[in-house]
Amino acid sequence: MKRVIKAVAVAAVAALGLAACGDDSGGSGSEGGTTELELLVPIYGDLTKPYWEDLVEAFHKENSDIKVTLETQSWDEIYTVLTTKIQNNRAPDILELDAAGPAYAAEDLLYKAEEIVSPETLADIEKSFVDSALIDGVAYGLPTVASTRALFYNKDLFTQAGVTAPPKTWDELLDAAKKISALGGGVHGYGMPLGSEEAQAETSIFAYGAGGTWESDGKMTIDTPEAKEALTFMKKMIDEGVTQPNPGATDRTPLLDVFIQGKIGMIQGLPPIVGQINEKNPDLQWEIAPSPTKDGSPSTLGVADYFVGFDKGEDKQEAIAKFLDFFYQQDNYVKFNDNEQFIPATKSGAEAASAKPELKIFLESLPDAKFYPATNPAWAETSGAFKSLVGQIETKPVDEVLSQIQAKADATG
Amino acid sequence: MTAPTTAHRSLRRRARRQSTLQALPWLAPALILIGGVVVYPVGYMIYTSFRDLTRFGTDKGWAGFDNYARVLELEHLPKVAMNTVIWVVGVVMLSIGLGLVLAQFLNKRFPGRKVLRMVIIVPWAASVVMTSTVFVYGLDPFYGIINRALVDLGLLDEPFGFLKSPVPGFLSAMAVAVFVSIPFTTFVFLAGLQAVPHDVLEAAQIDGAGRVQTYWRVVFPMLRGAVVVATIINVINVFNNLPILKTMTGAIPGYDADTTTSLMFKIIQADRQIDTASALSVLNFVVVVVVIGIYLRVVRPMRED
Repeated sequence: MKRVIKAVAVAAVAALGLAACGDDSGGSGSEGGTTELELLVPIYGDLTKPYWEDLVEAFHKENSDIKVTLETQSWDEIYTVLTTKIQNNRAPDILELDAAGPAYAAEDLLYKAEEIVSPETLADIEKSFVDSALIDGVAYGLPTVASTRALFYNKDLFTQAGVTAPPKTWDELLDAAKKISALGGGVHGYGMPLGSEEAQAETSIFAYGAGGTWESDGKMTIDTPEAKEALTFMKKMIDEGVTQPNPGATDRTPLLDVFIQGKIGMIQGLPPIVGQINEKNPDLQWEIAPSPTKDGSPSTLGVADYFVGFDKGEDKQEAIAKFLDFFYQQDNYVKFNDNEQFIPATKSGAEAASAKPELKIFLESLPDAKFYPATNPAWAETSGAFKSLVGQIETKPVDEVLSQIQAKADATG
Repeated sequence: MTAPTTAHRSLRRRARRQSTLQALPWLAPALILIGGVVVYPVGYMIYTSFRDLTRFGTDKGWAGFDNYARVLELEHLPKVAMNTVIWVVGVVMLSIGLGLVLAQFLNKRFPGRKVLRMVIIVPWAASVVMTSTVFVYGLDPFYGIINRALVDLGLLDEPFGFLKSPVPGFLSAMAVAVFVSIPFTTFVFLAGLQAVPHDVLEAAQIDGAGRVQTYWRVVFPMLRGAVVVATIINVINVFNNLPILKTMTGAIPGYDADTTTSLMFKIIQADRQIDTASALSVLNFVVVVVVIGIYLRVVRPMRED
């Protein structure tokens, strides 16, 4: 029902938009000295929207000549909303998104990073993050948050099962998961979410842990020996019954709740889960360790989100830069990362974050983290193919599933 | 009858045209609304289905029938089409059958009838996404209350992942679809039953017809209009139903639990191909129109007898 209403609303807006197109192409941006900026950001959690509302209000107080219109969207919806906007030539001026954001540069839609922020702010941002999403060697995205995955484990279950240390290698992981599953009583050793919500993340952690990558020479490489090794190991865990039942159809968020309830031994997670545990089940005895890999050498999945500015030929760089400088001011920026419990991407922000013990493992694993090849135009479809297909390893041979995903990746590359 | 003179006829035509013009200001808001909310999006969708759009939404020009070809080449299309048939036929037939029974029951006089009639509306009044979400949680193997009840009653040995594999997931989704379709269907039949004149029933009784005979020979034929309306509206609703499948079986990998409508959504969200999804959407639209056309042709609800 909600979707129907939304569809009607979108249609109505589209119809109105068509009518308004005629007078929109002119210099609407700088009428009467005020510049209008549209800001589109994804929602990380309950604190996201209030944060941006406050920030925009504070910004308006200091800059009466710039009017920022805020729009927030869920991660589920934001890609579709954005595609519709761009199709109708109504791209936002400032967008926060994962590495798919900078990828819009391939279509010549973006300002360069150096054009939309002051040199001082740019110097404060960790260079490695800026470089994590270059398009043809040029930076278009300004990193907002960064994060890695790590293994959350339940200390009580570890003690009961007689597991003394968190696993570093796959063999140790399988062994520990077996011992915990043997406890019975609805307890499962390892939580493996391969449902459509974020199957690409779980798969990438294992594939990167076997030394694999998803891209080489600009082509998507999914059906590789490393990936095969990783998926074979994952299938082995499923077959030996050390994961929760039906991993192929289990989404990440509901499974995390099961971990928080103390029914799962180990699960890979992001820093914000620390806050969720503290809120929902503070009595849980948990600890964080680096993600296990095939041979124990450190590697995990890193993710970062970025700001990009859309160049619609309206010369709004200065206004965008004013707003982004305001966002990266230490107070505003640290508050943003505190809210979302991510790792800040600025040097000044990282100092503030290093004081927090629960972020330690995540900060340490950052140098060895591999990112999605999200600047490759084919990654969006590849990631979608992972989400809708990789869970089939539960019932189908690994080779078949990998070649199916490879075919989807090739179809668009 | 004498033929009217040409002058007479043109006068009448002018008068009609004038009255149409006069009606326009009153019709305009409705027409604008229909144009903006129905005609424009449908037109735009058809237009999109013939364009080559990148995943960013930029338009690369005319694509001819490429998008349609891509839809028809999908390996899993036959399976999905079969699912769609099972989904529509199964859900609609069950809703109509159960709706007929429930309507008959609610047409009887008994204490508390009003309350019961209102209670039956609840699944209709609640948002479909909400209802399906309730079932998603209820059927969860870890903390689902329905699973727990089935285990406690001894019907299951251990919790079962109803929504974790294609066949049970699809059947559960069908059950929920029936659950949300029943209220509307029941009320259409209830209205139909109340329109059955009392003297006809009395006459049947006097003629010595039994209960079963009365129902099939007298009442049911008079419900034909209601059955047609309920079928058509249910077919459209059920065919286009996305929220139930999206919330209940959306996490299942592969395409074994998809209908063409949920496949369309996967093409948009996972494959980022708005153009291909538009083509499938147009095909869906054509299929619904054809199915309803055939149905009307066969049943001929407007036939008078």
